Amino acid sequence: MFRVAIAGAGGMAHMHASCYTANPNACVVGVYDKRPEAAAEMAGANGATAYASFAEMLEAARPDVVDVCVPTPWHVDYVVAAAEAGLKGIVVEKPMGRSVADCEKMADACAASGTPLFVAHVLRFFPEFAEAKRQVDAGAVGNVVTVRTRRGGSFPRAWENWYGKPDWSGGVILDLVIHDLDWLRWTFGDVERVFAKGISPKLPPASEVNSDYALITLKFKSGVIGHVEATWADPGGFKVGFEIAGDAGLLESNFNQPAGVPFVAALQRGAEAGAAVAVPESPTAVNPYYAELDHFLTCLATGATPSITPKDGCEAVRIALAAFESAQTGEPVVLP
Amino acid sequence: MTVKIGILSVAHMHAYSYASAVNALPGAELVGIADHDQARAESAAKTFATRAFGSYEELLAADIDAVIVGSENVRHRPLTEMAAAAGKHILCEKPLATSVADGRAMLAACKSAGVQLMTAFPCRFSPAMVRLKSAVDNGDIGKVIAVRGTNRGRCPFDWFTQLDQSGGGAVIDHTVHVTDLMRWLLKSEVTEVYAEISNRMFQQEFDDTGFLTLEFDNGVFATLDSSWSRPKSFPTWGDVTLSVVGEKGVLTLDMFSQNLVLYSDKTGGVSWSPWGTNIDELMVAAFAKAVASGSPLPITGEDGLAAAAVSFAAYASAKAGKPVAPEVVL
Ligand SMILES: NC(=O)c1ccc[n+]([C@@H]2O[C@H](COP(=O)([O-])OP(=O)(O)OC[C@H]3O[C@@H](n4cnc5c(N)ncnc54)[C@H](O)[C@@H]3O)[C@@H](O)[C@H]2O)c1
Repeated sequence: MFRVAIAGAGGMAHMHASCYTANPNACVVGVYDKRPEAAAEMAGANGATAYASFAEMLEAARPDVVDVCVPTPWHVDYVVAAAEAGLKGIVVEKPMGRSVADCEKMADACAASGTPLFVAHVLRFFPEFAEAKRQVDAGAVGNVVTVRTRRGGSFPRAWENWYGKPDWSGGVILDLVIHDLDWLRWTFGDVERVFAKGISPKLPPASEVNSDYALITLKFKSGVIGHVEATWADPGGFKVGFEIAGDAGLLESNFNQPAGVPFVAALQRGAEAGAAVAVPESPTAVNPYYAELDHFLTCLATGATPSITPKDGCEAVRIALAAFESAQTGEPVVLP
Repeated sequence: MTVKIGILSVAHMHAYSYASAVNALPGAELVGIADHDQARAESAAKTFATRAFGSYEELLAADIDAVIVGSENVRHRPLTEMAAAAGKHILCEKPLATSVADGRAMLAACKSAGVQLMTAFPCRFSPAMVRLKSAVDNGDIGKVIAVRGTNRGRCPFDWFTQLDQSGGGAVIDHTVHVTDLMRWLLKSEVTEVYAEISNRMFQQEFDDTGFLTLEFDNGVFATLDSSWSRPKSFPTWGDVTLSVVGEKGVLTLDMFSQNLVLYSDKTGGVSWSPWGTNIDELMVAAFAKAVASGSPLPITGEDGLAAAAVSFAAYASAKAGKPVAPEVVL
């Protein structure tokens, strides 16, 4: 039985907590959040104890695993502190960190203490994305030439409007399509150069927005050309789709449907709905968030290497921040 | 008044659709077809119950008011210049020209002959596109921020992939329609083009893949996929899509999505049978009407050249590995 302590008690933390509670090999023993009432509520719902500080939780709850679900810029603080506590494993939400330097710091700290670190790139556990990689690897479309993804919906409302502060969240380029960037790198290999246009990279520091949009073009080392659409400006509901075109076929999910509806208008209706971030759902027997966390716990139990490494988390952030930089400078950015 | 129309070359498959549009149009008459491939002229003339002329000169000397140029891309210039010299109004297939110099020469020839030149951009006539444009003009989504467009297709091969006939592959073929829609919609010109272009689909000399990023003079940014990336087994020829992102909402257009889906044991495949409006007919009707009334054509040669210049800039950008400004054509 893995004893799990969670840092953060917001939207994603609740999802992770319910997955551990449902898992026969895990239980939530501690919750810490800088808002004590949020920690108390989530602890209560999962039979855990709420703590007044992270250090106290590490000390008193005796966790095997710490799961970091606070907003992105503070991942590094909790992961590094947890790495020094001699745990069995650490989970950190995506994006791994707000900068490549932070990501490397986390990777180094965990390597130094020998603590397995799992970056929760849940998209790899979404069945359609996992199946697409299997099909590509099996040559279903021949040699891949182009790949396009799209992701997003309306603007996510959360604690302190942190998603709306690009300095904190990195906007759609870092926060939202890190999912696709990791899946693309996993499926099509390393990226050679990036060119991007977007709203938030053009804003002065300390800006706050209530929508964001970006279009990213990627050239992979393999020659594949990719396009990533990222939106927090679509009131028409959360949409995810992709298509992969090769010299022997085309594989797609939710992309080229004979919809019979050639025009759609999605308009803002004035006052925003409640504070929540759209979490993509996938109505299959196994919840992908459950699957990713169960995978990590299984690896910890068996000593196997988790399928997502700290380097993966770091590289996805590197690609996203290269796109962010390109959108700032107007020039393509070549990756090392 | 009946508008008498001749077709100069049916090398491009769209010429067949325009010929049947002329035949379907009350008030227009298809006087004849000429082609540098005489057999092709004769078989097309038979299909459309019209006369095959022995040469372009012969057709231009006949009693016609206007011509449709449906040749290979590199012949657009000489055929347009001949038609202008003969005093005929011209509807020219896209891309208007394969270089800015050729395009400028075509505009000048028409101007000095006092004839009108229209570029064949039928997508402007799509009822869904007209609806989208009116929503933007009406301010439904507020200020436009960005546009994501696609115009993909199956590779047409034939002369389209012979660079000395086409002037380029997928990028010259598929950049211009959606670039024109964006210019028309935004009332703005492209100031910068970045492109990733490859030939990895067919591994031949011609480009088959193009992902373009465009910047407009009003600050809007856009991307456009102009690839021949639809496989032979794709259920239809390709697509034209736009997603227009504004401050107050998003408008999406999937121009050719009005289809039945046919699962056929005869062909062993799935195909989409379109039931949407025939936009070629609407375009040819608008051309004929303007010619008949002597009013300005709804789309100009300048429009065609501005869109083509974006495709030329895309090739230059891919070569240089950085964004480039398209040549200012107007
Ligand atoms: N995998 C996914 O699909 C997905 C979806 C949403 C969010 N996320 C990621 O999960 C993380 C959390 O996002 P969220 O949507 O749950 O945010 P949220 O705003 O819902 O919750 C954040 C919580 O963290 C607390 N907090 C803020 N700063 C803190 C600090 N320094 N120390 C302790 N607590 C602090 C806040 O009080 C709040 O309760 C982010 O990294 C985000 O990118 C992933």
